[in-house]
Amino acid sequence: MASRVFGASIKRKEDPRLITGEAKYLDDLQLPGMAHAAILRSPHAHARIKSIDTSAAAAVPGVLGVFTGKDFMDVNPLPCAWQAGGVENHVNTPRVLEPEKVTFTGAGVAVVVAESRYIAEDALQLIKVNYEVLPAVVDAQKATQSGAPQIHDNAPNNVCMEWSCGDKAGTDKALGEAEVVIKERVVNQRLIPTPMETRGCIAQYLPATDEYTVWMTSQAPHVMRLLMTAFVFGIPETKMRVISPQVGGGFGAKIFLYPEYCLVTALSKKIGRPVKWAETRSENYVATTHGRDHITELEVGAKRDGTITALRVNTYANLGGILSTIAPGIPTTLYGRLLSGAYKIPNIYCHVWGVYTNTGMVDAYRGAGRPEATFVVERAVDMVANQLSMDPAEIRRKNFIPSSAFPYDPKILNGLKYDSGDYDKALGKALEMVGYQDFRKAQADARQQGRYLGIGFSSYIEMCGVAPSAWIGLPGEGWGAGLWESANVRVHLTGKVVVTSGSQSHGQGHETTTAQIVAEELGVPVEDVIVQHSDTLGTPFGYGTYGSRSASVGQVAVFNSLQKIKEKAKKLGAHLLEAAVEDVVFENGKVHVKGSPDKAKTIQELAGAAALGYSLPAGMEPFLDDTAYYDPPNCTFPFGTHICIVEVDAGTGQIDIKRYVAVDDVGKVINPMIVDGQVHGGIAQGVAQALWEGAVYDENGQLLTGSLMDYALPRADLLPSFEVGRTETPSPTNPLGVKGAGETGTIAATPAVVNAVLDALKPLGVLHIDMPMTPARVWQAIQKG
Amino acid sequence: MKFTGVFTFNADQQTVWEILMDTKAIAQALPGVEELIPVADEPDTWRADAKLGIAAISGTYSGRIRMSEQQPPDKYRLTVSGEGQQSIINGTTLIHLRYDEEQKKTILTWEAEASVSGKLASIGQRVISPAVKMMSGQFFKALDKQIPSEKRTS
Repeated sequence: MASRVFGASIKRKEDPRLITGEAKYLDDLQLPGMAHAAILRSPHAHARIKSIDTSAAAAVPGVLGVFTGKDFMDVNPLPCAWQAGGVENHVNTPRVLEPEKVTFTGAGVAVVVAESRYIAEDALQLIKVNYEVLPAVVDAQKATQSGAPQIHDNAPNNVCMEWSCGDKAGTDKALGEAEVVIKERVVNQRLIPTPMETRGCIAQYLPATDEYTVWMTSQAPHVMRLLMTAFVFGIPETKMRVISPQVGGGFGAKIFLYPEYCLVTALSKKIGRPVKWAETRSENYVATTHGRDHITELEVGAKRDGTITALRVNTYANLGGILSTIAPGIPTTLYGRLLSGAYKIPNIYCHVWGVYTNTGMVDAYRGAGRPEATFVVERAVDMVANQLSMDPAEIRRKNFIPSSAFPYDPKILNGLKYDSGDYDKALGKALEMVGYQDFRKAQADARQQGRYLGIGFSSYIEMCGVAPSAWIGLPGEGWGAGLWESANVRVHLTGKVVVTSGSQSHGQGHETTTAQIVAEELGVPVEDVIVQHSDTLGTPFGYGTYGSRSASVGQVAVFNSLQKIKEKAKKLGAHLLEAAVEDVVFENGKVHVKGSPDKAKTIQELAGAAALGYSLPAGMEPFLDDTAYYDPPNCTFPFGTHICIVEVDAGTGQIDIKRYVAVDDVGKVINPMIVDGQVHGGIAQGVAQALWEGAVYDENGQLLTGSLMDYALPRADLLPSFEVGRTETPSPTNPLGVKGAGETGTIAATPAVVNAVLDALKPLGVLHIDMPMTPARVWQAIQKG
Repeated sequence: MKFTGVFTFNADQQTVWEILMDTKAIAQALPGVEELIPVADEPDTWRADAKLGIAAISGTYSGRIRMSEQQPPDKYRLTVSGEGQQSIINGTTLIHLRYDEEQKKTILTWEAEASVSGKLASIGQRVISPAVKMMSGQFFKALDKQIPSEKRTS
């Protein structure tokens, strides 16, 4: 082949249907006879349901049924599939509708099914619920204190779980002996993922076969089917088909099993017609999961020369009023175990309180635990630098894990090792791109003029490609399943290739990157490959798309299937060329005898021969068709350095981002344009956490930021043109050498921006500002100085 | 949430007080309300349904209004509770009257505190605050219109 397909910025195969509006999202789907559901949600954050009168709603013409939680007592509560490992979890999960008590504003208490959504919404207004309102608590730290309202009987002081990792005694000792110790309380505020497409579900029940077909906005349709059938409904897995049509973004919030999906499924049987529920944007704000929300007390110890010796972290992780599917796993395994960052920190101890509060459910949001860990580490490193008047780049270099130390065991990863890295190289490249020395001069000059420029660093690592099943299944990690992926590759008689995959694509461009891997390996044109996914009928089982795992786990399964196909094609080619299999090679889509490329059988010819079956080697089955299941031996550990330059208006507190440089190392890159897109989007969300976004609940548990007018999403006009660079350190973990690129931006960007703002305000004596760093907060911090 | 407002009537203080106590006049003046129905056994308490048509808070609400702490003709309190649009609204307003001899006008000032739960709360003060301002303005203006011309000071 003249040029490699793997590594080329080819345009996304999925885009024509997306940009022309031909793609069908969930709410575009219409089934004959479909009824529509609307859900009545609790206006109170904490209340007992004393009675519900549905009679007026039921009498509205066009209403097919009105139901409350009491009508679904035969449906099990939703499962919590990832609990904090090795400790007791006081689990409380949602029911399809809450029958007795609500623990957050927005919990579903009744549903109307009607001929149209309009009728359903009108009837909803006529339902009378008699609540006994209970006192609410929204702050995770306050919720654990005595006298706080108690949300669940089984969770004293609202503590769902208490988890720790690392070496407590060693860390205490090291902090006691440290020449410098810095303490800070950092808040990683609650964020609302806000995908472009809200959630939704359509379910159809067929009485003749007792089977359900469920369309839902999911990042993990196979897991949804497993959880719904085996845990919620107690029916055979084979009685349900789950389809995730075109999904318009998820950022993690669409990984989980939600009450509405189970409710609509149950309704389709009760009503005897297909039922659709499409989430409104207002519902999305209150009833879809949120992310982050940590209150952390950190203590970092160092020597006077800047060597970091210890990090102690005590975190209150807000889990919301009730547990989402993998809520406890995020602030434990995906947070505490990442607290070594890119550094040799010999003593680390992390203690986590998973806390119930009267707020919406909190679960994975882009980065999931790793942005929170990176924020703690990158702030801690900067605090030490500031205290010792060291250069922030220099202190990072001093403490980096050297490239010679890989595979590196940070000791808090429960046996896993960082696979590969060259942190100094990425930092070096970023410094060069930004022109560091020149900037420091410009900064000094600007200060003379009373202008406050600042530069901020974030040298992050992340853990992608979760995970070896045998590791994540360890008692210390608490994951209730495996984490491998699968793929099937078929080369049809015509030479066209069909890949079915257990991964799910909701914006990542799998159809393109998977086709690139197939084209590279089999030597077929990218256009000849189609990738089918997101339907449990016709795709092999997969755990889904999250944690930047689809390249480093899902597509390795594709690669492994292709090796099996190539092996069979070689045998068939040798047979047709009347040569010994040892003497032939598969190269550029052809099988030929070594040294005789002119007499070759193309993959298309071989596929045709395999499909026809006229002449096969003895014992060979017809058709080129193989499946691989890939369970990674390790996670992958992308890394990089992001640098942000800001100017702060000391008079108003307004922050202007002047430049943003990102150097990421995501291992081998399949499609640079797609990786750039992921990096750009991630940076936007990471910057937004630093400066704008934040979910706000009032003290009664009312969400005050419940619309796109009230919740500050990032806008393109607020951001500079990103300067994106890369280094490439292949992952030794998998044969593709890939690491994962979906979350780097959100993980890296937030501390880079915060560090930049604090660098700018250093002459004014400002050491800390809580996020989001709104002009009001910045101005107040300047006044306090 | 806290709100305040001022309205000036072209009438003497007693006239304004009387119109403020006239439930028929109040019902006519309240935006979207047709009738105030006295609640049996609860003095100075009325039930009402209101139809509002303001952006995100459009819809039908049913509520109760109670008058208390009357100190004619200077001061009284209105306590309102309403339900609708999957939301619950509770509010209390302290209303003061003062006659300005020089201008021959009665100046009404009000201070309200409200709590909102449910869907409306998540829209935030951004929508609710201007809506309250607008509706209270409409309310007092409509009351003012009902003052007979012979009782007007200008």
